[in-house]
Amino acid sequence: MIKKHEHHIEHVHDASQSEIPENPEYAHHHDTPIENWEITQWKRKVIGSWLFAVPIAIFMIITRFFMMDILPENIMIIILLIVSFPVVFIFGWTTIKGGMRGFFTFYFNMDSLIALGTLVAYFTGIFSLFFEIQDYSGISAMIMAFYITGKYVEVKARGRASQEIRKLLKLGAKKARVLRNGQEIEISIEEVAVGDVMVIKPGEKIPTDGIVIKGESAVNESMITGESLPVDKKKGSNVTGATINQDGILYVRATKIGKDTFLSHIIQLVEEAQGSKVPIQVLADKITSIFVPAVLILAVLTFGGWFYFTQNLSRAFSVAISVLVIACPCALGLATPTALMVGSGMGAKRGILIRKGEAIQTIREVKFVVFDKTGTITKGLPEVTNIYPERMESYILETAASVENLSEHPIAKAIVEKYGKRKLKSVKNFKILRGRGVEGKISNKKITIGNRTLMNEEKISLDKFESIINQFEREGKTTMIVAENKKVLGVIAVADTPKEDSVKAINALNMQGYRTIMITGDNETTARAIAKEVGIVEVIANVLPEDKARKIKELQRKGMTAFVGDGINDAPALKQSNVGIAMGTGTDIAIESGDIVLARGNLRGVVAAINLSKETFKKIKQNLFWAFAYNMVAVPLAVAGVLHPVIAEIAMALSSITVVTNANLLRKKKI
Amino acid sequence: MKKIKLEISGMHCASCASNVERSLKKIPAVKKASVSVLLNKGMLECEENISEEELVKAVKRAGYNVRKIIYD
Repeated sequence: MIKKHEHHIEHVHDASQSEIPENPEYAHHHDTPIENWEITQWKRKVIGSWLFAVPIAIFMIITRFFMMDILPENIMIIILLIVSFPVVFIFGWTTIKGGMRGFFTFYFNMDSLIALGTLVAYFTGIFSLFFEIQDYSGISAMIMAFYITGKYVEVKARGRASQEIRKLLKLGAKKARVLRNGQEIEISIEEVAVGDVMVIKPGEKIPTDGIVIKGESAVNESMITGESLPVDKKKGSNVTGATINQDGILYVRATKIGKDTFLSHIIQLVEEAQGSKVPIQVLADKITSIFVPAVLILAVLTFGGWFYFTQNLSRAFSVAISVLVIACPCALGLATPTALMVGSGMGAKRGILIRKGEAIQTIREVKFVVFDKTGTITKGLPEVTNIYPERMESYILETAASVENLSEHPIAKAIVEKYGKRKLKSVKNFKILRGRGVEGKISNKKITIGNRTLMNEEKISLDKFESIINQFEREGKTTMIVAENKKVLGVIAVADTPKEDSVKAINALNMQGYRTIMITGDNETTARAIAKEVGIVEVIANVLPEDKARKIKELQRKGMTAFVGDGINDAPALKQSNVGIAMGTGTDIAIESGDIVLARGNLRGVVAAINLSKETFKKIKQNLFWAFAYNMVAVPLAVAGVLHPVIAEIAMALSSITVVTNANLLRKKKI
Repeated sequence: MKKIKLEISGMHCASCASNVERSLKKIPAVKKASVSVLLNKGMLECEENISEEELVKAVKRAGYNVRKIIYD
């Protein structure tokens, strides 16, 4: 029973939200989600109502099929009225009350139909004591019992539909161990402040987003990015709250807390998406909003028609009741949101965040999939790809890494990275030659590393290396020449290489018939080289960042275009495209850009997102078809008087359960 | 323009959500309203001068209760 709460609203400014005092019944369960509380409530009602409805059913069957009148008729009616009363007026009270209120406020809902149907049926019992009319009071109890049961099953299935988001909500850590004045103390997560140093031991959850300041470990991020392989973390790495530290102790400085964390952003995204609308549901929503009053009118007309033509009041009542209880706006109204909820939940589990329901409808019509190059197809960081001549590889690398280790340039870092953790030689007189390279001395040998310009300046002859340098350049690679005492030792080629999964993902898209296109600011040569490597045929090169959106617009004249890029630099192109897919890095996501956001920067996510959207949309269509078809067949049948009211009620309950269950079946699909 | 999320209790079917939506949209300061029975939430876009009282009243008028008002 819902008790009235006060009008007063408390202001809770810190959390920027207002708590409204709730009815005391619910207040006890404030930590558990509404659904759990709802499920328990419905379960109680189901048990209670059947306790009375089963005897009624047996009783009705006996009298109907065996024509046995055990007791005088009036006494039988009184017994039925008494036994039906608790089902309709106690276990069904919220339904009756909520439904009847509609008749005063003109906000009709599903309950209005059931309430009117059961009340009319129940009162025929009372009337039958005085007038010549069939008693339907037993039927009123049966309808209510089936309605309650249907609701219970539906609410449970709805709970299943939202299980992923509830898992996300529970994912966050409750406690954190932080260093305060050199002491490790355990505090609750709300007390963690930005700048706190958290100590995370193996097997523990990382309490909140931060940056590693000490320690090394592998971290399992699968709960957030869907990536099953653990990610190595060391000093300087970003870590995400709610991921699990596996084998080393990490000291992490908290950088984001509360509403600003990656996890909170994901939850917010998913919730917003689930509340958003898919264009296809517009008609269903319109029908849902006028459905109940329309059925009420139809029931009245049916009653009038039947009474007029048959002069049989009992029959007219029975048919009208059937019409009231068979109509099911719920199936219509739930068709789209439940499928969207299951779909977006499945996505969230895999690091695919569908921000707008609209995207899953639009994506079906996409012809062009345009990829940004740097950071989307490629890793966005240069890597050593070749060392020439190969027989000198280890010596060249050792020499170059020792010198470059003193530089912060990305290319220098790539060379050091390639060398790994082996021992470096000591370097004297290190100098950075801006824009050209570096130099230094290793055991009295002068080492010069840099580009052609530097070699020319130093009068170092390239002679036999000339052709290999040209070849690397044609492949779009940056070449570093390594010289020792003015004589070239060899060359190291560095390039921004494709991510491991790019080839596979682009292949999959090509196979599905999409036209894949790469867009980049790089020159044609570099761009072609990468495109060829990953299997993209069309390249739009030399595009300034601000012109990307314009290029997308040009493509859109030829067909729907999806754009895949990182959410930070490519926001205008993401917005311009019909479906913008923003790549996150696993630690940060640009919330405002992109209709679909991938938590982890991996192109396989694009294929998965497209497949998931298609499957979700298919479910939506199935559900809508089912809901429309059900109502279009069932309601006329009821009007025609061929359905017993109890059968009508069962059909109604089954129809909304079917819709929700069908949405849940989406989980069986392989994405 | 500000975004407001309402946690609503008592909704149990699709027509409930559509009732709340209809009632909320009658407030002139509410520009956009989308109510979900699955989330028990309403997402609103309102003008700056919106009053909480009005929102609560609108939800009540349709027969439901506001549990919480959350500002983005």
